Amino acid sequence: MMLEIKNLHVTVDGKAILKGLSLTVPKGEVHAIMGPNGSGKSTLGYALAGRGGYEVTEGEILWNGESLLEMAPEERAAQGVFLAFQYPLEIPGVATMTFLRTALNAVRKQRGQEEHSTPAFMKLVKAKAKALGVKEEMLKRPLNVGFSGGEKKRMEILQMAILEPSLCVLDETDSGLDIDAVRIVSEGVNALRSKERTMLVITHYQRLLDYIVPDKVHVLAMGRIQRSGGKELAVELEQSGYAEFTGWAA
Amino acid sequence: MNVMSPMGKVEQAMIEAFDKTAASLPGDAAARAVRRNAIGRFATLGLPSRRVEEWRYTDLKARIRTALAPVAHTKTAKAPNLDQLLGKALAHLPAVTFVFVNGRLQSWDHGPLVADDPRFEIEALHKALSSGTIKLDAGSDDVPSLLNAAFASDGAVVRVTEGAKLDVPVHLVFVSNLSAPAAVTVRNHIEIGRGARCTIIESHVATGAAERQTNAMTDIRVGDTAEVDHIKLLAEGPSATHLGTWNVTLGRDCIYRPVHLTESPGLARNQIFVAFDGEGATFDLKAATLVRGKEHADTTLVIDHKVPRCISREQYKCVLDGEAHAVFQGKVIVRPDAQKTDGKQMAQALMLSETAEFSSKPELEIYADDVVCGHGSTSTELNEDLLFYLRARGIPGDDAKRLLTEAFIAEPIEAIADEAIREALRGRIVAWLTSGKAENP
Repeated sequence: MMLEIKNLHVTVDGKAILKGLSLTVPKGEVHAIMGPNGSGKSTLGYALAGRGGYEVTEGEILWNGESLLEMAPEERAAQGVFLAFQYPLEIPGVATMTFLRTALNAVRKQRGQEEHSTPAFMKLVKAKAKALGVKEEMLKRPLNVGFSGGEKKRMEILQMAILEPSLCVLDETDSGLDIDAVRIVSEGVNALRSKERTMLVITHYQRLLDYIVPDKVHVLAMGRIQRSGGKELAVELEQSGYAEFTGWAA
Repeated sequence: MNVMSPMGKVEQAMIEAFDKTAASLPGDAAARAVRRNAIGRFATLGLPSRRVEEWRYTDLKARIRTALAPVAHTKTAKAPNLDQLLGKALAHLPAVTFVFVNGRLQSWDHGPLVADDPRFEIEALHKALSSGTIKLDAGSDDVPSLLNAAFASDGAVVRVTEGAKLDVPVHLVFVSNLSAPAAVTVRNHIEIGRGARCTIIESHVATGAAERQTNAMTDIRVGDTAEVDHIKLLAEGPSATHLGTWNVTLGRDCIYRPVHLTESPGLARNQIFVAFDGEGATFDLKAATLVRGKEHADTTLVIDHKVPRCISREQYKCVLDGEAHAVFQGKVIVRPDAQKTDGKQMAQALMLSETAEFSSKPELEIYADDVVCGHGSTSTELNEDLLFYLRARGIPGDDAKRLLTEAFIAEPIEAIADEAIREALRGRIVAWLTSGKAENP
């Protein structure tokens, strides 16, 4: 269960964003991607999940030795890829429960597993929601509609807990959250850490990494990994900022 | 005699059909006179073409190529399979149910109520016309209304008693199960007493492949302070041409909530003509239309604010696939006396194909100065960002599209307070969306 990204080039609207990004995350490890705004952090997340308009012009992404690039987003999800969105979308008219159930049944079907019965599904969702402080009332509302920033992020982590992915990509999960919300979301993520689950935590600030302590930290700037190190690198960046990297490549 | 006769072969055939069947149509001498006048008026007007402004997007002259003969009534009409036609949920709704087959009352069931319940009365139109308790009225020069007055064979006359609260809906089911192409014309008269509360459902459904021309009119008068939900399901299939007209008269401070669900008609024109007759009344329409292939569905409203302080709301939504064409025309007239009128209208189309067409025509005619009136119209495709979000969670592309389409088009239906009716109609929407692929390869 290893993620290997080799010499990845991605263009968006004809503009090169990732320019030769290489990265390896061994099974069960949590790696952080840090970098300034506009460095291509979110583009990496979208390229992993297979969003349309993010064109891979060179390089490859291997997950468990298989190329993700030819797969549709739903096939990647079935292979265990999960992107927690920086800005989770509101879907009016689709009840959260309906959405969760449709998604879980879809990935289970693609993974060759049986669908959950209604009572088993309800029990599963309620238990996981409770652990994340997601109120039952939220589950009855249309997905993310009228949710606060913190509620939306918790809903992302709830989806992650229910779909049980093997590769979790968290895109700026801390953005827009107050410190209590960061703690709750981080506890949810930490509860999912396991030897079987690989995680890529994308963040601008070191703050999140106080809670989700990574095995490794990579600095992404100007479309490439500029430096890699241990968790202490995050602390260093918090003090020195990213100027060194953006200046270097200019 | 008008030398520039608007009459073509089709109109001629319709008039000949009238001459042949007039004697067998129900009604006293007065009714017969109204029918004759109506067909006479039709003879001078002919079927409207796109040159008539109200018919610009639905050219009946071009689209109705043959005049189907009025259905011949026999005692042997087969009992329809309502489970199949309506869906089990709707067929088994606890309700007072009257079933009309090919334009004639066939069966009835008072459900949990008793026939002599003092809260309401219901009788067949053919009897009411013969006894003269209902007077036919051809109305204005609206062609579907004229044809309806000329040919109406049956329908329901419903009276809800003043102050009565009907705890189950009255469900009028109109089934066409023709063995040969024919025209079916039905007409309902509904009178809601002052302060009464009730739900009326009209289901227009059909079975078999025989071409059908259906004309259905409902004349409804809502008394002062009454509260009425009036639901219409139109699902007669792509071999049907349906002309539907509701004439609505609203009393003081009443609340009238019509809901339309139109599924896959060959050609449908749903007209609602609303007259505010007493101050402070509310008209709150929700309409959902589903079309694909070469289907054509038109919703045309004329809302006449004649008196002050009335509220009108129209929410129209449609989903279009294939080369389908949906039309929304919403005309709101605010007369000089209708101060403090509050009118809002919104028409929204979701285009699933590049070859579908949506024509939207709001019209505001405002002659009073202290009013709030607004309208809007949008036409969009499915949102790619939302689709990606669903697919990133493992939901395959087609399912994700269906989920988003359902969320869009079910919104008008969600307004129905009665959960059983709401879920029954939502079930029909889901079935329509799921059946899509077979008819649209």
